[in-house]
Amino acid sequence: MSAAVSPLEQMVVVLARDLADGELGAAGAAALVPMAAIALARELHAPNLTVGGEMFFNPEPGRLYPSMLDDRALGRCEAAETFIELFGHSHHGLDFFFHSGLQHDVYGNINLHHVGGTLHAPKMRGPGAANLSYCHTSTRFYICPTAHTARNFVEKVDFVTIPGHLSGPEAKRAAGLTNEGPRLVVTPRAVLDFDPTTLRMRLKSVHEGNTPEDVQRHTGFDLAISGDVPQTWPPTEEELRVLRQRIDTSGTLRA
Amino acid sequence: MEGQTKPTRRSKVTSLQDAALLARGALEERPELCLGGLFKQSRPVALVRALLATGADGLHVYSSPGAGYDIDLMIASGAVEQVFIPGVTLENRLCPNFRRAVEAGQVTAHALDALTVVGGLMAAAHGVPFQPVDALRGSDVLKYNPLLREIDCPFSGRRIHAVGPIRPSVTFLHAQEADRWGNLRHLSTMVYADQLMARASDMVIASVDRIVPDEVVLDDPSRVTVPSHYVDAVVEVPYGAHPTASFPNYAMDEKHIDAYADLGDAARTGDRKGLDAYITRHVTGPKSQGDYIEAVGGARHFAWLEAEARNR
Repeated sequence: MSAAVSPLEQMVVVLARDLADGELGAAGAAALVPMAAIALARELHAPNLTVGGEMFFNPEPGRLYPSMLDDRALGRCEAAETFIELFGHSHHGLDFFFHSGLQHDVYGNINLHHVGGTLHAPKMRGPGAANLSYCHTSTRFYICPTAHTARNFVEKVDFVTIPGHLSGPEAKRAAGLTNEGPRLVVTPRAVLDFDPTTLRMRLKSVHEGNTPEDVQRHTGFDLAISGDVPQTWPPTEEELRVLRQRIDTSGTLRA
Repeated sequence: MEGQTKPTRRSKVTSLQDAALLARGALEERPELCLGGLFKQSRPVALVRALLATGADGLHVYSSPGAGYDIDLMIASGAVEQVFIPGVTLENRLCPNFRRAVEAGQVTAHALDALTVVGGLMAAAHGVPFQPVDALRGSDVLKYNPLLREIDCPFSGRRIHAVGPIRPSVTFLHAQEADRWGNLRHLSTMVYADQLMARASDMVIASVDRIVPDEVVLDDPSRVTVPSHYVDAVVEVPYGAHPTASFPNYAMDEKHIDAYADLGDAARTGDRKGLDAYITRHVTGPKSQGDYIEAVGGARHFAWLEAEARNR
């Protein structure tokens, strides 16, 4: 346990603490950190949490994989479904889901389609996204990109692939987004949340080794920092032990 | 009835080349091709290569909501006009030729989502004029998605979406096993949208790792994922999904896909030599799947991918 806590391990621990026993959720496309968080929650305080909604239930991977769409990661699972069932889950929603993208903005909107130009004449074309429903049919979702720079945290995204809080409470209501939407933004530098009145992103805590000024410098919009910003609670001995010994056995989160 | 012999049932087993020509003919009538599998799993890549070797072009390509290597290779080969796939990515990196061609305006990549594509396939499979969708809100994709319409729900009166039938002219699938009549058996954990595509398409051509005796199917009918009724032709192609995976038989060849993507990135920034050589070596050069297997590393390489598939 002597090795220093990595930024990804810190992210996993923050996310795991927010998942509750008995919930249903899935990891999303960039699955490494979310899947580790789900596994850690199931080990520590949420044994009845169900992984489902992405065509498999309760996988038991022997180690962490960057994608969960890999039979090595989900070959040991309790049941498999198809896109027909995924169609239903997308309408019914989950308790939680995870997203990240090319750009994230001050209202938690996420862009995966293009940076610069227009959709059909893009300066840079991104991958797009398959599931656009879990972000609002689910009770809540988490934003957890593995990089945090002034280039991927921007005032306004060039294209809203995944709606967060759009341009605030009124726009969100008008679009029929009735659930919570993005709850936390967990990055390698910090934890951010949303002001309940304006729904603008704000700094909640900084991980060990970062200052609020560092985080602001690596963010492309004003975080409106005022007063003291607490440090993110580091992993407990037990969280770190379980994470390293039972979940991330190959040390992927520290690579 | 003396002298009358029992008529024989027609086998659907065909060769890779004949399957490609069959597909080519249908796609010249209507260029809508659909690909089974998902990202790096169970993609019908040998069928795609054989189709590319016939010089197919102008294709409109659909897939389950996520695709990567195969659609990128098709674009690199100049075969694609429009992409109707919501997510196009190699997962660990972007698809280089997709990116280049869309940024250059050579290929149209529509903004779509999984429910539109799955819903359209459902409408076609079920034989109904449209599929309601009521889980799309707030995304800019809704401003551009060419397949959706807004309708009033006749029951609640609410504004919801509808997608018309997506009826591919040809669907390519890859499964682990089939009998000679074309009954497919997916032995992988997931079946993706393959069953839906099979029911939605005018023509279905499947590659399988091996053709099994009739008894294998008859002894365990609940294991059949796509009944032969929906399948027009089946081809036995050893390692036919390579460089994607065909679990539980062999894993995805991530190194091959990464090396391909490096050549694609070089082409994107102006040097196409390596990419052209790749296409010659893997797509237009090999006369058979045996030649292809040798070109990508031979039996030893595949023994490693087989071992990796068991490494959970």
